[in-house]
Amino acid sequence: MLSVIRLAWRNVGRNPRRTGVVVTAVAVGLAGTLLSMAIFSGMMFQMVDNAIKTDLGHLQIHAQGFNKDPEIGLFLEDKGAPEIEAIQAEAGIQNWAPRIRGEGLVTSPSSSVGVRVIGVDPDAEAQVSMVSGSIVQGGYFDQKRRLVLGEGLARRLGTEVGDKIVLSVQDLEGDMNGTALRVGGIFRTPSAELDRSTVFLELAPAADLFGMGDSISEIVIVGHSRDAVLETQARLSAALPDREIERWDELQPLLASILSVMDQMASGLYLIIFVAMSFGIANVLLMAIYERIREIGILLAVGLSRGRLVAMVICESILVTLLGLVAGFTLALLALFALSDGIDMSLWAESLASFGMGTRIFPVLTPADFTIPTTVALLTALIASAWPALRAVRLRPAEAVRHD
Amino acid sequence: MTETTPILQAIGVRKTYETRGVETQALSEIDLSVAEGEFTALAGPSGSGKTTLLNLMGALDIPTQGEIRLDGENLGNLTPAELSRRRLHKLGFIFQAYNLIPVFSAAENIEFVMELQGVPHEERRTRALELLESVDLAGLGDKRPLEMSGGQQQRVAVARALASRPRIILADEPTANLDSKTAIRLLDLMLELNRSQTTTFLFSSHDPLVLERARRRVWLRDGVIDRVEGGAAA
Repeated sequence: MLSVIRLAWRNVGRNPRRTGVVVTAVAVGLAGTLLSMAIFSGMMFQMVDNAIKTDLGHLQIHAQGFNKDPEIGLFLEDKGAPEIEAIQAEAGIQNWAPRIRGEGLVTSPSSSVGVRVIGVDPDAEAQVSMVSGSIVQGGYFDQKRRLVLGEGLARRLGTEVGDKIVLSVQDLEGDMNGTALRVGGIFRTPSAELDRSTVFLELAPAADLFGMGDSISEIVIVGHSRDAVLETQARLSAALPDREIERWDELQPLLASILSVMDQMASGLYLIIFVAMSFGIANVLLMAIYERIREIGILLAVGLSRGRLVAMVICESILVTLLGLVAGFTLALLALFALSDGIDMSLWAESLASFGMGTRIFPVLTPADFTIPTTVALLTALIASAWPALRAVRLRPAEAVRHD
Repeated sequence: MTETTPILQAIGVRKTYETRGVETQALSEIDLSVAEGEFTALAGPSGSGKTTLLNLMGALDIPTQGEIRLDGENLGNLTPAELSRRRLHKLGFIFQAYNLIPVFSAAENIEFVMELQGVPHEERRTRALELLESVDLAGLGDKRPLEMSGGQQQRVAVARALASRPRIILADEPTANLDSKTAIRLLDLMLELNRSQTTTFLFSSHDPLVLERARRRVWLRDGVIDRVEGGAAA
């Protein structure tokens, strides 16, 4: 078999211009697709990461039923003490923070806006969320009885740092409750949704406002990585059977769907590109077979079996494709290296923010970005070689050796 | 001479070709035996059926009727894969021109056949160099066919044909593209191999240089054996 592979390899090199054209086509097609997918993956990863770092965390613990109907009445008693005990016994958790979460109405002298109200422990929250690091005006709970809100919301309310606004909510008993607070800080995150519709206040005033006493709505958890939290979730679920322990993708199924659709789209795209390329590869191989009919006749005459002849044609197809893959991956990696500081997308900042993305996109390649195109390309090479191989194997040695 | 144990036999062979519904009879009622040690030529004018008969006897084609027997085995009963194996292990071929694989060196061309046979690397390398020496091409093992003259290429083809230690070498117009001096050198080489190693040769040729060296000449005319001249083995 080695002799057949060596012969195939030499045949690939006998017409460098023709091989070069196919290799270039495969390489450019692959590199272009890989680069597009890397940028698209970068955008999606950033969207997910931002959602995790601004709101979702990797895991959240709630009372049963909260995720289906996030009622203020579904809470964790005693500041979540049993839950915190389980968290502290878990090695896979980096940081965690308690929150009170409800709905409310914020009123400024010029406007009223419905908002999500989130009560936080500022120090703990800073470990699980990027909001504390996203303050563009004022500070992050550096004074008492302050709230922090997004830049979009501040604009809608016409408020600035230091202005007084009124926050009204429906408390645990169903009564309307309100309090006047000053704007302590304004943040700008990559999530336009968060910036436009969320106010943060400290845990104690939030508990007073909602009449929750020692109770909290949720505990948000950040693990070592997105994948690693699967095991953490399983262990916490076992330790806290009467609590909902949900991952980010269960809390936001839409994000998970987008990632899944993206994977399918990538496979589809690679398939389309390589099927198109297969015609080019088949054409080149066919030309090579037609040019070598006499030589194939000689090979058959000296005892090369038809099976080995088919193997030789397949090898030639696979070798050309492999050269294209290597060149394509190299080209793509060089391009990605050149883009390692990110791609400035500030021209589309507003649109990107509405999807929870920043203005600098960092292309991301996953192992699947190498395995999927390699698998698809090699399968394509096999399919592309079928026709030329069939043509070669149908040659009658007596006629082939006399072919001019 | 071992006429009782022929290597190759054609028994009642007929070959017809059909082109666009028109049947052409290339060979009819051919009976021929080639025994070990023979140096025989199929002779005759163009279109007489020499190459067709050589191809049939070399398992490159199948007869329309009759049998081709190689060491007593009817080739018509074999599958294409079995025919490949018989060509690989029992038959050697030399063609008119462009005999060699251009992407392989002279030594690699010779080794290729042995590699297909499963001969270990060291052994086939040694044998390839010995064969090159036996055809007066020592030191040219690394040359590619395009870097060699026509005569040198044909001598590499002889060495390749010998590489598999075949029962018989079939040579189709081996001197057709060579000048007479080179052709004589090549034929003398084959004759020497026939004498010294009892290598059996069956030629298809109308070259007088081949025919005057052949010990037996089987003359074909219009697809039938017209006459047979000379004896058989050395």
